[in-house]
Amino acid sequence: MNLFAWLRGRVPSYSAQLRLFLLPYLLGTGVLVGLPALFTLGMAFTEFNGVARPQWDGLANFQRLFESPVVRLSLRNSLIFLLTAVPLRLLAALCLALLLQKRERLFGFYRAAVYLPTVIPEAAYALLWLWIFNPFYGPLNMALGWLGLPAPDWLGDPTTAIMAIVLMSCFQIGEGFVVLLAGLQNIPRALYEAATVDGANQWQAFWRITLPLIFPWMLLLTVRDIVMSLQNTFAPTYILTYGGPYYATTFVPLLVYEIAFDLFDFGLAAALMVLAFLVLGWLIFGLVNAVGGWRRHDD
Amino acid sequence: MMIKQRLPRLLHHLLALGISLLFLLPLYWMFVSSLREPGLPPPRTIEWWPTDAHWSNYPELFTLLPMARYLRNSLLVVAAAVPLTLLTASLAGFGLSQLPDRPRRRVINWSVLFLLIPASAVWLFRFQILRWLGLIDSLWALILPAFTASSPLFVLLYFWSFRRVPGELIEAARLDGAEAGTAWWRVGLPLVRPTTVAVSVLTFVLYWSDFISPVLYIYQARWYTLPIGLQLVKQLDATNWPLLLSAAAIMTLPVTMLFFVLQRTFLSEQSLGQLFDRS
Repeated sequence: MNLFAWLRGRVPSYSAQLRLFLLPYLLGTGVLVGLPALFTLGMAFTEFNGVARPQWDGLANFQRLFESPVVRLSLRNSLIFLLTAVPLRLLAALCLALLLQKRERLFGFYRAAVYLPTVIPEAAYALLWLWIFNPFYGPLNMALGWLGLPAPDWLGDPTTAIMAIVLMSCFQIGEGFVVLLAGLQNIPRALYEAATVDGANQWQAFWRITLPLIFPWMLLLTVRDIVMSLQNTFAPTYILTYGGPYYATTFVPLLVYEIAFDLFDFGLAAALMVLAFLVLGWLIFGLVNAVGGWRRHDD
Repeated sequence: MMIKQRLPRLLHHLLALGISLLFLLPLYWMFVSSLREPGLPPPRTIEWWPTDAHWSNYPELFTLLPMARYLRNSLLVVAAAVPLTLLTASLAGFGLSQLPDRPRRRVINWSVLFLLIPASAVWLFRFQILRWLGLIDSLWALILPAFTASSPLFVLLYFWSFRRVPGELIEAARLDGAEAGTAWWRVGLPLVRPTTVAVSVLTFVLYWSDFISPVLYIYQARWYTLPIGLQLVKQLDATNWPLLLSAAAIMTLPVTMLFFVLQRTFLSEQSLGQLFDRS
């Protein structure tokens, strides 16, 4: 098991060997992530159909983006999704982590159950929800009818379609759930004991100890969820609605895919990606700033 | 007095149980509805158990479409991508844990940055790069991301775990003349087994589920994987719910089983605490 046996003549030093260990990872990431990301940035300013040489085009792509109503709609939809799904998912993950953190029998089962939907493959998960949302004989509307509630045409109605996509994303929160569980576990018990001695109740302990200490994790999850919303909506919308009805679920990733792989306008698609990234960056910057200000104020 | 203490505990359990059932319900519905006889008029109420379980929907899928081929392709991708990811991630994580502070910090910062690049930002020109490499329409297009360790997160997980391995152990191995490869394989890896289990499960799920990559990079039917197969079943007859849900169940079964077998290692308090305890 000596990777360097063939180099017997001049065995690299130990630290050179360690650097070699990093090589596959750095090379792979550079070629398959770094390079394409840079290309996207560069091609946003060119006209490029995927075959011919890219032609420098200045800001023409961005101008076309601003003039397109579909682009505006997709940005609006993505923002609506972001502003509802991200907070809901974070809140759900936090509540579940708080509720299920006990080290007792059965709680292991509860935690596994909550994580389970996260491992379901996207394609299967989307088909499953297509069935659940079926307006006539899907289980969801059956249940609503049984409770005497109105049964909407979930994916057929522009106002509910986007909420349906948000709803199904709220069941795949295993990642955030696990991270927050781990964060909760790393809070020293002694802090709670001290608080009890000082006469604090559970509510005060939560606000003064738990929340501040897992706050960095929550911020990290929020930032990651915001960024990942740029890819997570692709499979559900591709399979469930393909952007419809009336563009109600046309989110940025689906539109980027259509522009690039149906219309072969890679330059425009890259520009849309860059634009979406700028909006997200601005959002994240604002969020981190606001939170930083609030934290300083709180101390 | 006893009741007063027990009641909140009972309520806590009931609430937790209710929530678990809510999260299991969609899966259960998928399974039950997949056993319905195709062609029957849809049920008028929620069926909790099919009156006449129709298992033949499952073999039916394999005769309607070349599902066996899609299954084989999916298995090939996973069989190549999971070991490659483990190799790349554990080597990089081990290297990081042993390197001096400055280069380590640089690689970690880059990794965190890459963690924030969504796949969609990379699609367009990964397609171009794969085409230049002549890998469009081959399973390599789906496997290759394993060389990025599949996600920088896995490198960081390995790094955090290797850092908890006592330095003396590796020092001792080095004094015995071990080179980095030996220290990684003989000393490091056996001590971070929970991490290897966690990364394997997550990687398996990632590649088994991968829907976007085959949509983007695979155009010939012989290289389709299961997620595309599911789309084809839907195109065949979008109203044949029992058949559609059987296909979904076939895709879900392996990950569910893997998850339940390994969740003890994967979701247990100790391994969670270890993964994230960065002190």
